[in-house]
Amino acid sequence: MAQTRFDRNAQLNGWAFIMPAMMLIGIFMVYPILWSLWMSFQVGRGTNFKFGGLANVERLLNDPVFLRALTNTCIFFIVQVPIMIILALLFAVALNDSTLRFRGLFRTAIFLPCVTSLVAYSVLFKSMFSGDGVVNNVLLATHLVNDPIPWLTDPFWAKIVIILAITWRWTGYNMIFYLAALQNVDKSIYEAARIDGVPAWARFTQITIPMLKPVILFTTIISTIGTLQLFDEVNNITQGGPGDATLTLSLYIYNLTFRFMPSFGYSATVSYVIVIMVAILSIAQFMIARDRRRTA
Amino acid sequence: MSGLKLRGVRKSFGSVEVIRGIDLDIEPNEFVVFVGPSGCGKSTLLRMIAGLEGITEGELDIGGTRMNDVDPSKRGIAMVFQTYALYPHMSVRQNMGFALKFAGVAKDEIDRQVDEAARILELAPLMHRRPGELSGGQRQRVAIGRAIVRHPEVFLFDEPLSNLDAELRVHMRIEIARLHKELATTIIYVTHDQVEAMTLADKIVVMRDGSVAQVGSPLTLYDDPDNLFVAGFIGSPKMNFLKGVVAESGADVRLPEYGDQIIPLHDSVARPAAGTDVTVGIRPEQFEPDGRTKLDLKIEMIEHLGGETYVYASHNDGEVITVAARDARAVKPGQNFVARFNPTSVLLFGTDGNRIR
Ligand SMILES: Nc1ncnc2c1ncn2[C@@H]1O[C@H](COP(=O)(O)OP(=O)(O)OP(=O)(O)O)[C@@H](O)[C@H]1O
Ligand SMILES: [Mg+2]
Repeated sequence: MAQTRFDRNAQLNGWAFIMPAMMLIGIFMVYPILWSLWMSFQVGRGTNFKFGGLANVERLLNDPVFLRALTNTCIFFIVQVPIMIILALLFAVALNDSTLRFRGLFRTAIFLPCVTSLVAYSVLFKSMFSGDGVVNNVLLATHLVNDPIPWLTDPFWAKIVIILAITWRWTGYNMIFYLAALQNVDKSIYEAARIDGVPAWARFTQITIPMLKPVILFTTIISTIGTLQLFDEVNNITQGGPGDATLTLSLYIYNLTFRFMPSFGYSATVSYVIVIMVAILSIAQFMIARDRRRTA
Repeated sequence: MSGLKLRGVRKSFGSVEVIRGIDLDIEPNEFVVFVGPSGCGKSTLLRMIAGLEGITEGELDIGGTRMNDVDPSKRGIAMVFQTYALYPHMSVRQNMGFALKFAGVAKDEIDRQVDEAARILELAPLMHRRPGELSGGQRQRVAIGRAIVRHPEVFLFDEPLSNLDAELRVHMRIEIARLHKELATTIIYVTHDQVEAMTLADKIVVMRDGSVAQVGSPLTLYDDPDNLFVAGFIGSPKMNFLKGVVAESGADVRLPEYGDQIIPLHDSVARPAAGTDVTVGIRPEQFEPDGRTKLDLKIEMIEHLGGETYVYASHNDGEVITVAARDARAVKPGQNFVARFNPTSVLLFGTDGNRIR
């Protein structure tokens, strides 16, 4: 009897402690999520909407701008995430080498971009990659190209600029995770590998990468989510242009909601596309990681 | 089965010299143990032999070839690390076969060799586990197995047993001794456990501050140490060191702190000049009930180990002397105690720490 009363007290206390946090999460996370799900079934413009069932999904499938934004987002994700992950890994391995001089300097230099102001760096990228910007001047001066590259005015090159920008900004962030993981690895494992005659490249692919696999999985998911939600860079550097060449899903949602005649229901539907993609990709990445472990 | 030759080997980290000129010959098939206090450079020297550290100065020769600048994998050595250094994401089988894969050995040959090593080390039931699923002793055996499959000329061990508990340590020590017989290779083994050193070694290298204090068989180092350092380092409990002065006659040593007790110098000892300060060394186990010389002591503390009793006693609250006594079950702290020994069993050291022979 006393036992159960004590248990109930403990339970009440527990709930009391987490209640404030639960309420905040409820108000600011669960409610908007559910509300946007509800919204995604509404059709209409501005504040004047009504329930439309799956009408928004239908509109989605026939919306060329949406398909464009989806394709662009997928291109950014498929091209950029692997490049960034591999770069971050290589940097981390290089910076973990105790014989490298000025390690602290390099480490800071590579990490610095991800603490710089987003708008500042976007403006800088915009001016550097403009028709007569620094990048073109250098390329012309070194005779690498004969004509200036239309960085911001050509659909292909504009995508490249965006990929360069987000890679520049986020590689250091991912690298820090790898560096932290590498510093926990027993050095004698690599010494054993040297004695075993394992070449440097195989040490990287067959020892470092498998040992970092959990961290790689984590950063891949984080980066995937980040890239699927890509907004700031495209909004600040290219505004989605030229044409819709760098339009991303997030930017499209923003345009639907705030720039065009507001269509809240439809933009909620588009944002659920991102949610579903993130969910599918994360599950897929977990499955791939787990399968490899079984067969290994 | 190669021997090794080290000539004037030195190592500096920046301006700090940690290995200060080592000359050493290791015969093929010999079991050599490096011992010494922490930080004396044992691991560094071993890693220089392995090629994990560069050699600042001097010559390293393995099996008749100069190896100073040869890649670690081409020196014909294999190393077992204190932390095992197994590849955590690979199975036991993969761990053991990994080196062979890069040596261009065919797959079925790798399997054959790995199975052979697994048989020697009794690892067969564990081949599909990962290092994380093994006990410390099993991991250590895998690490040894990984070394065996490469058929090295020289095995290097850096404190391989120091992460194991006392019982397992004894077991693995016997395993390693058996392995040395079975494989008939040269082994260089670093430890600071002198029981390991005494039981395993054909030859012990006692190191101190980056140089060799003495090289010799375990019993040579025990019976006939060259200096105070080796005398104090080998043997447990430690040898007792008593302050002495050579008496006027030149034929005796007087112990001023022990009531001017006289120890006659035996014939084999060189006769230092009268009045010279010396250190008299006597091991705890060399006290005997019917010895000719005696020390009058008072017991401070007693340790009963069952078979043996260690009596810690002093004269007039001076330095504490350790005596291993056989029939001392009844003695109590505070009692007077007479420790007897024979003058022939003491060792004399000069003020420079070197043995007077
Ligand atoms: N990479 C290094 N850089 C600078 N000094 C080092 C380095 N490695 C070792 N030392 C120094 O060299 C000396 C010898 O180290 P070493 O590891 O060889 O000692 P050890 O005899 O193996 O000691 P232990 O019994 O504690 O393992 C120590 O004083 C150590 O501080
Ligand atoms: Mg060491």
